[in-house]
Amino acid sequence: MPSNANGDRGQNWEAQLRKGCLEMAILATLWQSRLYGLEILRALSEKSRLEVAEGTLYPILSRLKAEGLLESEWVEAEAGHPRKYYWLTAPGRRRAREMAGAWNEFAPKLTVLVEPIAAGRS
Amino acid sequence: MTSQALVDGRIETYLNRLGSALGGLAPEYKDDILREIRTHIMDSAEHSADPVGGIDRVLRLLGTPEELAARYSAECQLERASRSFSPWVLLRTCWQWARLGIRGTLAFLVAMFGYSLALGFTLAVFLKPFLPSQIGMWIGPQGLNIGLEAHPEQMHEVLGNYFVPVIAAAAFLAAITTTQLLRWMMRKRAPGLVVPAADFVAAAEIEKTPAIKLRS
Repeated sequence: MPSNANGDRGQNWEAQLRKGCLEMAILATLWQSRLYGLEILRALSEKSRLEVAEGTLYPILSRLKAEGLLESEWVEAEAGHPRKYYWLTAPGRRRAREMAGAWNEFAPKLTVLVEPIAAGRS
Repeated sequence: MTSQALVDGRIETYLNRLGSALGGLAPEYKDDILREIRTHIMDSAEHSADPVGGIDRVLRLLGTPEELAARYSAECQLERASRSFSPWVLLRTCWQWARLGIRGTLAFLVAMFGYSLALGFTLAVFLKPFLPSQIGMWIGPQGLNIGLEAHPEQMHEVLGNYFVPVIAAAAFLAAITTTQLLRWMMRKRAPGLVVPAADFVAAAEIEKTPAIKLRS
């Protein structure tokens, strides 16, 4: 059915877009702070409205650490559960800068391109 | 059963299944994952007015234990394989990488070609004592052939007694070169391309799916 196929393609494109941006978004949330998983999820949701499922975030954090872009440690909370805090390593900060630079170059150009579409809709 | 006991039971069942699904991972790595997921579940559910409903939501957003374990394995598999010297680990990883895109497909083709070459050379070395007049490095009108020649009378064998050491060295070289090339390709891969895009579903979409059924 054409309408379902178009809907599926649109959803897949959006999923591809999220996938491409998510790593940059995670590194950006850790740029100024050490955060644990739930805090990273909240920061992604509140600051960028980039909601991602927990089941997607934690394996990515694990990979980024395995690549040497993040470091982590368990911190005992005064009351409650110990939490695993993450922060950027030097290579992680370099990667974040590269990604932010690429994004700042790419995004405005695309915004200019799609502006007539958004204007036409309203 | 009290609601707290029900909640605890669900969490333990989930973590037990996750631990089983994480399978052959190093124990300290597996323990760290389980500890982090347990903390996340407890933290998330703490702020919910309905303990049982809160746990259901958290577990739904995590995905089934098997799905979560598969994501952990997929995300780290390439990174671990890039540090391995095992042809079997590299070949298996390339096969899974090939399903995700062109780079993985290229790596898989490199692996198949390189390791097939090494295997073929090794086989020829082992068969040479049993088929001395048919196995060799043959040059003739049909070109170059290393291995079994169906028409040896039409071809000229060039290595003679040096066949075994030369082809054994070639097999070793093919295996080492392929291994190093694959390790390099895995290290140079674009980051974030391990898990298929379909897995990057927003939390809002997952909320619509039924709660995960766990056997207590």
